[in-house]
Amino acid sequence: MFHALVSIKQVPDTTNIRIDPETNNLIRQGVPTILNPYDAHAVAAAVEWKRKLNGKVTIITMGPPAAITSLRECIEMGADRAILISDRAFAGADTWATSYVLTEVIQAVHKEDPLDLIFFGKQAIDGDTAQVGPGVAVRLDLPVVTYAVKIHEVNTAEKFVVIERKTESRNEVIKAKLPAVMTCEKEIADIPYASLPDLVYSLRYEPEVWTTEGPITFDPAQLGLKGSPTTVFRTGTPEKHKAGEVLKTAETGVDVAVKTAFDKILEVEGVASMLGVQR
Amino acid sequence: MSTKEKLTFDVIVVGAGLAGSAAAAIAARNGLSVAMIERGQTPGSKNYFGGALYTHSLLEIYPDLWDRKPPLERPVTESGFWFLSKDGMVRATVQGGKMQNDPIDAYVALRAKFDAWWAEQAKKEGVFIIPKTVVVDFIREDEKVVGVITDRPDGEIYAPVVIICEGVNNLLTQKLGLAKHDLKAHASALAVKQLISMPAETINARFGLPSNEHGLAASVMGDVSMGLPGLGFLYTGVDSVSVGVGVTLEALTKAGIKPYELLQRYLNHPMIAPMIAGGRLMEYGAHIIPEGGWTTMPKLYTDGALVAGDAASMVNALHWEGTNMAIMAGKAAGETAVEAHQKRDFSAKSLSAYRARLDKTFVMTDLHQYRNLSHFLKSRPDFMNTYPAFLNDALGMFFSGFGKPKKQLYKDILRSLTDRRPLVKAAGDMIAFGRTIMGF
Repeated sequence: MFHALVSIKQVPDTTNIRIDPETNNLIRQGVPTILNPYDAHAVAAAVEWKRKLNGKVTIITMGPPAAITSLRECIEMGADRAILISDRAFAGADTWATSYVLTEVIQAVHKEDPLDLIFFGKQAIDGDTAQVGPGVAVRLDLPVVTYAVKIHEVNTAEKFVVIERKTESRNEVIKAKLPAVMTCEKEIADIPYASLPDLVYSLRYEPEVWTTEGPITFDPAQLGLKGSPTTVFRTGTPEKHKAGEVLKTAETGVDVAVKTAFDKILEVEGVASMLGVQR
Repeated sequence: MSTKEKLTFDVIVVGAGLAGSAAAAIAARNGLSVAMIERGQTPGSKNYFGGALYTHSLLEIYPDLWDRKPPLERPVTESGFWFLSKDGMVRATVQGGKMQNDPIDAYVALRAKFDAWWAEQAKKEGVFIIPKTVVVDFIREDEKVVGVITDRPDGEIYAPVVIICEGVNNLLTQKLGLAKHDLKAHASALAVKQLISMPAETINARFGLPSNEHGLAASVMGDVSMGLPGLGFLYTGVDSVSVGVGVTLEALTKAGIKPYELLQRYLNHPMIAPMIAGGRLMEYGAHIIPEGGWTTMPKLYTDGALVAGDAASMVNALHWEGTNMAIMAGKAAGETAVEAHQKRDFSAKSLSAYRARLDKTFVMTDLHQYRNLSHFLKSRPDFMNTYPAFLNDALGMFFSGFGKPKKQLYKDILRSLTDRRPLVKAAGDMIAFGRTIMGF
């Protein structure tokens, strides 16, 4: 039977977010939290293939108890089982420590009920690192396909999957051995509109809660702040991009315009030395 | 996963606004299973008002209100009218005295925050909230309402009583034939407002408020509505100010004025602009207010269904009451549903107890008393421009007439009225106004 797992994150709705101009911190007060949009599409894709292959979808998330709302949303979309990984000991985890915890949980789920595909969103809209999915894949030693836009085929008998991924210049179609990890773009699937009984079922659904107390054990040294090698020195708002200078070739002539443009490029730090140009 | 069993509750409440969450809480508290269906992502996400909430109505549902820590903004410790002329203002506000009642009578609130909390309280009573779902029609058996149909696949839910708290756009109330017509343009005001963020200290300084525990609610008349039947308002939140204006749809259409132009003009008024200068626009919103009150009120009950709140046109435009009427009506509807379950009788006759309950409250007596108000304001535009302008002139002359014979001063003041409106007509206006608000 096809078994997919989707790892999701509840995030502040950044369309509503404001930044304190003095401290440069996010003002989280009063900002609603939502299911990370890329994750929502990943769940939709997992459910779509579960229905095609008559399988099962398990959702996991590491986060505070309030993340239950997002897990319920996944159940509403058609997922079968949801696990909240929640413990104070996990707080302050960076992507390294997060991928450790998720890997442990995924391995435990896999032992119970072998997994074929492990979905992530391509990134979370609050941190934008895009590291956790690939990080888990490396820890699990599984193939990973990032920026997935379409699943062409899932073959559970011959244990392979064909996934199309987006790059800056072109799309690639990749065949990977199952089990595999993928991180999804929004194009991967449309969010379904649940039936009323499914919605009502999800509103009443109580996810399992996994903590450091069980059902599995974690290495305390690898958890939370202690297990996180990343330190954030400073966060800030990037400087606004200034409008460029406009030269009309009719007025300046082509030569002057091109020379001015080149000079501007060379002014950018590092460009001159990279090109080996003496200024 | 889920089974295809019939979804059945004792009561269905349509809409998680002030009326809906009140009705649902009362029914659930009395042991009924209640489903409250809300079209927004969360309760409150689609709701909007000026505005202030009235303590008496909140306490009516939750006597232990203060222990529950409601997310209210500032208490209203100063309230009254501001009369705007083209370039001036007369303020008639009251503070101290009865404005210091314990508890304070009104609190400024933001609906997105408050309604989410209000629904959360109903949830604590046992109400099952179904969000992101729109009720589109009713399930009927032998002409009786026995449930609702939502926009979702397999979207039927059954209950012997449905309490409709769908808000001003009362399509369901119309569908049941309780409202005989769509919204009337002359009896519906379109209110537009901006929520402007400012530091609490700035608000305190600009509005003369001693602390964050003091707040202002002002009804603004005169130059704000460009002579159309309507009012402006200004409410102080903790670190935001709500400024807006409401005018009837009919007047806006006839005058060809766009609501945001009206609001922009108001915000640029030389007396208003400095109050909000430097503030940051946080929200821009609009909402329709069913100001018809008694004259546009639908029938409030039928076999298996009740209507409460804006859907039932429960608004007193002059006193800015509506939220409290919605809550009181929600309570009465919830109680009636409980009683109907006890009697196992959900007929119109049994549910008419709802109307009887409301008749005993200020909701019905006030709406009846003010039944001619919207017609009055429409037919006497002088209240919207002539008198506020005169008031500014009169006081302006009185306080600047130094070194002049006072006899002439009074003559001038009188002339500034009679130039605008003959004395007899002005007297007639006042008498008519008195008769209107007394409900004769």
